[in-house]
Amino acid sequence: MRELELYYGPQHLGMVGNFSITLKVQGDRIVKADANPGYLHRGFEKLMELRTWMQNFPLVCRINVVEPDHIELVYAMGVERLAGIEVPERAKFIRSIYCELARVASHLFGLWAYANMLGFDTAAQWAMYHRDLLLDLFEELTGARVYHIYIRPGGVRRDFPRGFEQKIVSTLHAIGGKVPDYNSLFFENRLFKKRAKGVGTLTREEAMNMGGVGHTLKATGMKYDIRKIEPYAAYDRVDWDVPVYTGGDAWSRLLAIRDEMIESVHMIFKLLDTMPAKGSVCTKTPNPFKWNIPAGEAYVRCESSRGELGLYIVSDGGDKPYRVHFRTPSYSHGLTILEHALQGENIADVGNIMISLYVVAPEIDR
Amino acid sequence: MDRNQLIKWLKTPAKMSHKYSLHAVYFCTGCGIIEVPPSITARWDAERFGVVPAATPRQANLFLITGYVSVKTLKAIIRTYEQMPSPKYSVGFGSCPINGGMYWDSYNTIKHLDKYIPIDGWIAGCMPRPEAIFVAVTHLWTLIDKDMADGYKRYEKHYSAFRANQEQVLGPLPWPPLFSSRETE
Amino acid sequence: MTHPMVKNLKSMFKPIAVKQQDERRIMLNVPKDSLMSVLIFLKNSGYAHLGLISCVDRIADNKFELVYIVSAYVEEDVDDSMKATFVVSTFVSRKDPRFITCIPVFINAEPYERELHELYGIVFEGHPRLTPLLLEREYPIPPMRKDFDSRAYVEEVFDTVPFVDQEDDS
Repeated sequence: MRELELYYGPQHLGMVGNFSITLKVQGDRIVKADANPGYLHRGFEKLMELRTWMQNFPLVCRINVVEPDHIELVYAMGVERLAGIEVPERAKFIRSIYCELARVASHLFGLWAYANMLGFDTAAQWAMYHRDLLLDLFEELTGARVYHIYIRPGGVRRDFPRGFEQKIVSTLHAIGGKVPDYNSLFFENRLFKKRAKGVGTLTREEAMNMGGVGHTLKATGMKYDIRKIEPYAAYDRVDWDVPVYTGGDAWSRLLAIRDEMIESVHMIFKLLDTMPAKGSVCTKTPNPFKWNIPAGEAYVRCESSRGELGLYIVSDGGDKPYRVHFRTPSYSHGLTILEHALQGENIADVGNIMISLYVVAPEIDR
Repeated sequence: MDRNQLIKWLKTPAKMSHKYSLHAVYFCTGCGIIEVPPSITARWDAERFGVVPAATPRQANLFLITGYVSVKTLKAIIRTYEQMPSPKYSVGFGSCPINGGMYWDSYNTIKHLDKYIPIDGWIAGCMPRPEAIFVAVTHLWTLIDKDMADGYKRYEKHYSAFRANQEQVLGPLPWPPLFSSRETE
Repeated sequence: MTHPMVKNLKSMFKPIAVKQQDERRIMLNVPKDSLMSVLIFLKNSGYAHLGLISCVDRIADNKFELVYIVSAYVEEDVDDSMKATFVVSTFVSRKDPRFITCIPVFINAEPYERELHELYGIVFEGHPRLTPLLLEREYPIPPMRKDFDSRAYVEEVFDTVPFVDQEDDS
């Protein structure tokens, strides 16, 4: 059979984000896949070397457009480690609640993308509507729907407004009360099972060799979560569990995402209960125009909604970073694992595998 | 809707059909992909304005360039724009196509999208809210009524200047010119 | 509390510098020729997750510093010493930067080395495809080096493109 070259290009109904894959197909089967990133490369690491430490915060949250909060957190953690700043207790709890809300919103966006790609519009509309309810909370807290710029080195920018905890609780009850409906509509749907079971299967060894993190690994049965291994913020003050599934295919990955969302909602309720009622939310930092951080290097990491997010940061004693390099989870998922998982699959399953691996294109290109 | 407006609409059915059924190309070009899905789903419904996503550029007449444009994306944008049938309207979304925005000193992004393809309107913000898209769409209706949304006509008229700019940044382009060089400047 | 691996590393590989930042981070600097053996030793001891390959342009010393960050895939209820991260670095010359690829040790190193090749100009011998990953055009020198002035480049290339005069039609 003749071999054709197809461009699953940037303008495609099954593509989320500006990313392209060059496929060599024979009939309907894919023989070889070549990922083609670079449409969103802005040269962040060069831009960050030209701005001061505080001026980088509005820039750094635009690396991952779907979920900017964990990148702010990891950059603030890097700066704090280099400068030796401690975060007060209440600020740690606020950071955890903020990041967990961002995780739920990001997973709902992923659910929209997956359901939209499958053509299942009802579940997509529900997911996006519930995400908008969470973005209303963010807007009240920080002033913007996306790109919040809320975390700063030493804590957070401002305290919760009055009555905010009740608003969080009522919004999460509204979303959480819909989980049985989501289950019966989408997750227990016979057609979704037929479409997603057995597609893009990865064994645990393959995923570990190729650098898989996040729920790609949790769907193969391994409880690898940075919030448990290297606890940061307030994750070691509450009791929570990491949901895993065995199976390694797209169906297990989507179920792991759903369970992680539900676990995050429970975690937010527990954090709100154990949070200290009063306290400062930010340690004082020097004048940002004249802040020189002592020379050194640091590697910090956290668990974003896609997996292990790391930052390697080097300072030479000046007022600008010397070298900044982000280790984003979509890099290994979108380049190494995707090219491996697409071999032998149908063309119709390219979007299926790509979105269940949770590849976000701006994270690859930075 | 009063009688005068109804009569005015019935006299120009072509303009009515251009305005009230804008099919937007499904191309998520940059940061702005994060505010387009909320504007086409249930909370801020864009279909009440007639804006619906289209599958391919050959079936679309609105191009929403959402966010910054890198050099690689510019190639894809030019190809997509040239595949759309006339009359077509293009709107720059966000402050990055206007003047470079946040990435004004980046070695891989272009600063003024106006130099490479014609733009009918701009939406300022970083990110603009979904309501800003709807304000832009209603503005575009007014421009279509007054015959001022003529980006596609300007593209044909000044095609050699646009193509020279495109080739200055991208190198020799592998596709032939869209219009043969017989237009006047 | 010193990490148990530090003693083995010091005795087997004679690193130039070893620093333990806290109980979870160990920074090493090794000579160029023993980097592969350090990585293979770490992988065989259970630290099989290559997180990042990065590069720092030490223009004052006229060298590139290649950094490899290695940690372990562990679950929560495992010994604390397995939760550490090793930051292994080595110096490569800046005039003619060449190094060997570590794809035989860690398969997922392939896109990292490809990106460093196009952004810094480092050639990794043995890499199956050193084609451009992110960039579309040719730059006079690799763009992430410290002597590449991106603001001057933007002024020279993108700001000199003229605006198209579209005002003469009514």
